[in-house]
Amino acid sequence: MASSKIEELKRKRQLKNKRKKNQVIYGGVLIFIGIIIYILLLKNNFLYSVIWIIGLLIGFTLQKSRFCFTASFRDPIMVGSSSVLKAVIIAFIISTIGFAFIQYNAIGGNTAIGYENIPGKIAPLGIHTAIGAILFGIGMVIAGGCASGTLMRIGEGFALQMVVLSGFIMGTVLGGYHFEFWDRFFISRSKAIYIPEYLGLPLTVTLQIIALCILYYVVDIYQTKNNMMSI
Amino acid sequence: MLEVRIDCMHEACPIPLLKALKKLNKMNIGDVLIMETDHSCSITNVIDWAKKQGHEVDYAEISDGEWEIYIEKRQ
Amino acid sequence: MRVIEKIIKKPWPYIAGGIILALLNITLFAFSGKPWRITTGFLYWGMGILEVMGVDHLDWHYFTVNGNQLSEGKTFFNNEYTVINLSVMMGASIAAFLASEFKWKRIKNRKQLLFGLVGGVLMGYGSRLSFGCNIGAYFSAIPSFSLHGWVYAVFMFVGAWLGCKLLFKFLL
Repeated sequence: MASSKIEELKRKRQLKNKRKKNQVIYGGVLIFIGIIIYILLLKNNFLYSVIWIIGLLIGFTLQKSRFCFTASFRDPIMVGSSSVLKAVIIAFIISTIGFAFIQYNAIGGNTAIGYENIPGKIAPLGIHTAIGAILFGIGMVIAGGCASGTLMRIGEGFALQMVVLSGFIMGTVLGGYHFEFWDRFFISRSKAIYIPEYLGLPLTVTLQIIALCILYYVVDIYQTKNNMMSI
Repeated sequence: MLEVRIDCMHEACPIPLLKALKKLNKMNIGDVLIMETDHSCSITNVIDWAKKQGHEVDYAEISDGEWEIYIEKRQ
Repeated sequence: MRVIEKIIKKPWPYIAGGIILALLNITLFAFSGKPWRITTGFLYWGMGILEVMGVDHLDWHYFTVNGNQLSEGKTFFNNEYTVINLSVMMGASIAAFLASEFKWKRIKNRKQLLFGLVGGVLMGYGSRLSFGCNIGAYFSAIPSFSLHGWVYAVFMFVGAWLGCKLLFKFLL
């Protein structure tokens, strides 16, 4: 528990607190609006209504757990704490299992069926992946939020993240505009690699889970060693 | 005992943590760092880090979406 | 009721967030046949804005390859990405309001604004090259057993390291 000094400071601070407003009522109003939109969507498009509810839950979870993918990359590098990264790895282990079932359901054992027919996010791998990832990594650290974090913080009322979002939109449009260049020289020459095509689905799932578990332990050890970028 | 106050209002995510880290390095054991922030991530981010470093730490909400984080340097 | 109050008011541990997000992503995948993606929605919004401004762009090379064209009956604003992006924002607002911690947070100074904008543009451009952001090319790609997710993760670390260097140099 916190020490007496901190308790004392907290007590002193509490006395001169500004009157705190209770915002629960606004939350209630927003939930009400959310339900109305859900009902409207349900009438027009069942799929959208499901996505709407899941999105609301995702946003809620992101905000409550302060789940920040940027922090999962940045904090191990900067201050050597990796609690977020560990949580991300656990999320990967769970979704690996779930995705494996969904993919198996869709394609059975036929992993050479063609990438268009495999559900999931499978994309060409090449130099463009690396360049894109590096640009994205730099961007998310200096902007203080990734794509999900930006959305979540706009919801929380950060003006900065609205600027980030407009930059984001400009960047994607610019990227789409230049896509022909990248496609001609890099993307069309590279191919997507779907690991189960080479190893089979069961072995891939097992190996991936083992790899993620090893990663978890490595990160855990790293955290106790606590490396720090010199400031 | 010294009380050091840093203002991290309107700062984006890594800055509050880095400021705290920088200040704590210059402080003596037993001093308390008081940090004002309105970044919701800080109250988990900074606290998680400070706990791991072995400092005493706690926080209080001082207004809507504004917090004070107290870190007592222990080592 | 104390438990509910605690859930709504206190931040959750990271691990809980990770588990719930993974389950939600699986649910989304099972229902819609596509895992969670964000950035394509941003592109569509940008294109929609251009469309309103009268710029013709549907002949862009981007929309002719890799299954990037808008699917039947969708427009730049009426698609599943818009639905999920708006609902994520709204979900976060609900969480913030229920915890009574919503606050309009203004931008501190020009430097912060500039870095935010530049960071946003870099993220946007990068996300086109690598077929997704940290969600589409990482959080949804690694569980899809696509190798590009792993490569993306490694290079995102490189990028984050460079970003930290910049941050120390200019922002601190």
